[in-house]
Amino acid sequence: MNKIITAALLIFLGSSAFALTPQEQGLAIAIEGDKRGEGYEDSKVNLKMVLIDKKGRESARDMRVKGLEGVGEEGDKSLMIFDTPRDQKGVAMLTFTHKAKSDDQWLFLPALKRVKKISSRNKSGPFVGSEFAFEDISSQEVEKYTYKYLRDETLDGMDCFVLERIPTDKYSGYTKQISWIDKAEYRALKVEYYDRKKTLLKTLLNKDFKQYLDKYWRPALSEMVNHQTGKSTRLIYEDYSFQVGLKGKEFTKNSLKRAK
Amino acid sequence: MKRVSNININKVAFISAALLSATIVQADIAIDSQLDYEVTGYFADSAGQNQETQRVNNSLALEVEVFNSWNDGDESLTFKPFYRIDEMDDERSHGDVRELIWNKVADDYELKIGVGKVFWGVTESAHLVDVVNQTDGVESLDGEEKLGQPMVQVLLEREWGNLDLFVLPYFRERTFAGKDARLSAGLDYADAVYESSAEEKHVDVAARWSHYWEDLEYGVSLFHGTSRDPFQTGLLTADGPEMFTYYAQITQLGIELQYLNEGWAWKFEGIHRDGMPEGTVTILAADPSGSLNTDCLTCVASNPYPGLDHTGVGEGKSYFATAAGFEYTQVGIFESRMDLGWVAEHIYDSRQENASVGAFEHDVLLANRWVANDEADSELLVGVIYDYEYEDYSLSIEGNTRLFDGLSFEIEARVFSPSRDNVTQYSLRDEDLVKMTFSYYL
Repeated sequence: MNKIITAALLIFLGSSAFALTPQEQGLAIAIEGDKRGEGYEDSKVNLKMVLIDKKGRESARDMRVKGLEGVGEEGDKSLMIFDTPRDQKGVAMLTFTHKAKSDDQWLFLPALKRVKKISSRNKSGPFVGSEFAFEDISSQEVEKYTYKYLRDETLDGMDCFVLERIPTDKYSGYTKQISWIDKAEYRALKVEYYDRKKTLLKTLLNKDFKQYLDKYWRPALSEMVNHQTGKSTRLIYEDYSFQVGLKGKEFTKNSLKRAK
Repeated sequence: MKRVSNININKVAFISAALLSATIVQADIAIDSQLDYEVTGYFADSAGQNQETQRVNNSLALEVEVFNSWNDGDESLTFKPFYRIDEMDDERSHGDVRELIWNKVADDYELKIGVGKVFWGVTESAHLVDVVNQTDGVESLDGEEKLGQPMVQVLLEREWGNLDLFVLPYFRERTFAGKDARLSAGLDYADAVYESSAEEKHVDVAARWSHYWEDLEYGVSLFHGTSRDPFQTGLLTADGPEMFTYYAQITQLGIELQYLNEGWAWKFEGIHRDGMPEGTVTILAADPSGSLNTDCLTCVASNPYPGLDHTGVGEGKSYFATAAGFEYTQVGIFESRMDLGWVAEHIYDSRQENASVGAFEHDVLLANRWVANDEADSELLVGVIYDYEYEDYSLSIEGNTRLFDGLSFEIEARVFSPSRDNVTQYSLRDEDLVKMTFSYYL
């Protein structure tokens, strides 16, 4: 995105005197949100995933996620390592996010020592049995959607922009997403996902935000509820750390094989 | 004749364990164990050679992994001993060091020294290019369980791809089911014979370069040394019939390709291998005059190609083999969260009827893979391998699910329907089986 245009859009945004189209306004909000997340360099977090079925029965998965911020036109990289369930221990997933094309993703199966490339066609499928799809947990690059500003609304006492975004990838499982982004910090507090039949499928709530390095806001809890099945999944983030000095060699196909 | 390699390996395992526990006293050691209980039921189609043998077999296996890392994770040691006790088959009651390997990650290279395991390849039906580790043949029918391989491995990861270089200083013999066991040839095994005078101490070398471009993954590999696939044939000795196992010196070039496009995964593996002797397995086909006797085994050892031509062992020849096909995945079929994969692969061996035991000469794999995407990670693979020349087939069903965190369940069923023309498969006709495995993670 041309920086001058971005800056111009942001100036326009602050002033209601100019007539911006809802699309331009939506894009400007998305770009500002993305900008506020820049510069984290790398991150580490422990993740507990709790799957809850219709009857309230829970099963848990533990994983660790390392992230490396992309430089320039490069997208972010991430490495996810599974600790539980115990039969899945050592399974690891490497993702190279791309802005303009589909992500590259590889899965390491420790029993066979086999690294398998995952088809991007899979992105709408459930991620490890949860209510999150692969595309929900991947890095949300601005270029992956087109945007439209809908309205202002208050959510939990916070002033929010309500934004519609439409995935550009034809393999997305969604026709649109509606997100509530707070005006103060540009955090996505709530997202509604509409399926291919344009009916409401899921709602994501991001809660208990904490700020790291005086800049980066991350939720401590993300809850995805599937309205059509009654199932839900909770993601609990623990021990976030940023700028810990992770290197590129920790995000390669060979590193997958030694991920522990 | 019993082979002694397993006993040696047990000793190695024990000594290694002792050394490991003595030298590493850091508190950072992670220990994980997996205990498998397996019960197998066999169903005979008709009274066959194994009609007297057991119908139900129990087996227990334990695999432990001890892992320790230091230097901020740049150095690590992994020790993974394995032991199985089998009710029926003494040859299957065996131990192995699956891994005992030191791994060092430097800025521009990675080094692994010890006993390790690597996997090469992309196809599902046959693993042609995968030649580093020997198959632990008594473990599973699909040949996917491997014995630990002593190695020095250097890994380079660059802009132009990944290059892995191997020196493999010691060879492991394939394991085979015992004479009276199920899924055996019904023969004792003579001591293995090697083409190389260095026998199992021949130093093998291998290299693999792999890279990707967009959704195309590709790899080229080279191997020179002792063939992991043996040449086998029945032999009539003074002690009666025995299985003769011969390990030739080979040079293999392997190619792997995988292209992902929309829901399709197109896969290809091909090898060109030079040095394998050809011949059909003609059980008890040795000279009826009985000119072969036990002494002859020594002469085989001293001369790679003695007067054994009448049993089918000949000069090393070159051949090629391919496995090619696709897997098409339908994501979320029937508006459910289930995925359905359609697998079709064709396997070809240019030696045709002279191919080695266990090779697919002209076969087709057709399979359906069901992935439930549920909290128990349930999967089901239903497949048939059909040999369109011999017109025989084998059906397989493999399913797995998690009962709770720490206990998994796996089921495998096989039905063999070999044709009378297919000598190597015909002995399996009464070996239809259902196997259930409970895996407990400690």
